[in-house]
Amino acid sequence: MAKKIRLGALTEIPAGIWNSIFRNSLPSSDLGRAQTSFTNFFLHIHPVKVHRHTIKPWYTMGLGLITFFLFVILVITGVLVMFYYVPSTTQAYDRMLDLRSSVAFGTFLRNMHRWAAHGMVAFVFLHMCRVFFTGSYKKPREFNWVIGIVLFLLTLFSSFTGYLLPWDQLAFWAITVGASIAGYAPFIGEQVRFLLLGDSTVGQEALLRFYVLHVAVLPIVVTLLVSIHFWRIRKDGGLSRPEDVTPVDVTPVDVTPVTTTQPGSTTKRHYGIQGLVRGPFTTVGNVPDNSVFSWPNLFMAELFVLVLTIAGVCVLSLFFNAPLEEPVNITHPPNPAKAPWYFLGLQELVSYSAFWGGVGIPTMQVLLLLLAPYIDRNPKGVGRWFAGERLLANTLFLIFVIVNLVLIVIGTFFRGPNWEFVSPW
Amino acid sequence: MGMKKSNEPAAEPTEGQMTRRRLLTWLSSVGIFGSAVISVVANAIFIKPRATYGKPSRFSIGKAGEIPPGTRMALDDQRVCIIRDDNKVYAISTTCTHLGCIVGPSETGFACPCHGSRFDQDGNVTGGPAPKPLPWFKVSQAPNGELEIDKGSEVTAGTYFNV
Repeated sequence: MAKKIRLGALTEIPAGIWNSIFRNSLPSSDLGRAQTSFTNFFLHIHPVKVHRHTIKPWYTMGLGLITFFLFVILVITGVLVMFYYVPSTTQAYDRMLDLRSSVAFGTFLRNMHRWAAHGMVAFVFLHMCRVFFTGSYKKPREFNWVIGIVLFLLTLFSSFTGYLLPWDQLAFWAITVGASIAGYAPFIGEQVRFLLLGDSTVGQEALLRFYVLHVAVLPIVVTLLVSIHFWRIRKDGGLSRPEDVTPVDVTPVDVTPVTTTQPGSTTKRHYGIQGLVRGPFTTVGNVPDNSVFSWPNLFMAELFVLVLTIAGVCVLSLFFNAPLEEPVNITHPPNPAKAPWYFLGLQELVSYSAFWGGVGIPTMQVLLLLLAPYIDRNPKGVGRWFAGERLLANTLFLIFVIVNLVLIVIGTFFRGPNWEFVSPW
Repeated sequence: MGMKKSNEPAAEPTEGQMTRRRLLTWLSSVGIFGSAVISVVANAIFIKPRATYGKPSRFSIGKAGEIPPGTRMALDDQRVCIIRDDNKVYAISTTCTHLGCIVGPSETGFACPCHGSRFDQDGNVTGGPAPKPLPWFKVSQAPNGELEIDKGSEVTAGTYFNV
């Protein structure tokens, strides 16, 4: 009999191991749902409960989330590509060819990395538009907007540094043009250019510097800032939402506190952690409960966005190959020599005036973006798309978006040899 | 202080009195702030290369006799155009002053393929977005009789080397 009991205990070992890793099983009660969020390292990024408004798909459209997932894809594919890459002017291009011809999944990985990079630039911009048009940068979220702008610039810089690494004609001349634009900054421009390139022209030193920035410095800084960005969302009271979500448009929910009765003990009362934290969530008690449990409502929505993002990148990578042009020939610039598409608006401006197009206007735009939450002090219209109270701010921002898009389209499709106007048709 | 009995509560330090904790706080703050400043400066110095590995800025173009009058020869790998009129030799940079592309010789002087800047025979801007003329480089004769171009030293336009 004793033997049988020991054997029974043996069969419980796997479950014991499992339970030691995952502290609770898939939840079937509200307590379990709450515990799922705060007993898991990864899931405790979200509070136990979030406001109903947070999971409205057409409010955020998951744009920031897609940007983050693209960043994760970039880190993973980037590390994998690093196993086969050498940042040397004599080897880099050959390694690109090897990646295509003799590395298993090499083309696919490079495609994923390239399209996810373009996607991240696009989606970080779209996310910025969403935050602006819903007035979500207003008090108390001003500084998170500033961090977001810095992340936008870092995304551009990461993409720019990565652009050089294949060491083909496209890379070389895009960086030659880009670094020269930096040289136009007053007083420090030439110094910055020299520090960036490590030499007076784009060469081995520049390749090495861009590589180190691209694979170590920038990802670390971006990771740190993304963490702060996420942390601040919670500390600022979760996603922005209209102040007056009336209980009318909310289906009634059970508002009794989360309780559990254990046999032989008195009723224990659990409050969500947010009940103890200062901020918009403090109300505990018999008020209309507009919140839903993060598990499964929010997490499943996010999982869906993740799957969608991965699927999108994979499909693109299957059907479109990342460009690889001729190897670098420093004596023959392609005509026209074009920067990456997201800099073509700048390049278009630069073709009128190098200083104003390359330094003056971009600096003013960045300063205005950084200061937007401090300039626009109208407290109304938070949490709604294109709120009528924000007509002026939204119109100005829309003009900013359209002007930059039009410039990019002109630079991309309407500029031919010698940067002369051509028709794409 | 050392004589004080351990179970007696320490007297509140008065304003301006240097306690051990205040001294440590003060020293640590100055130390960490000083280290931060020093390391920023040190990193800035470190990241600026003292020697570069690119091509040397001085290079030889051969003896004057090997360059016949009327020569107009663009050395794309050096990004310099060597010109000889009669006995005047001079060197003009072919790096576009706009955004660093290589300008090519054209009928009227030089033209940039990237953003359409145009220059005359002496490197003056005649069109396009280039903000300043192409610089001229110093030409000199080395002891062995060969002509040398020094891309590290610009000279004013119209400075010729007479051979």
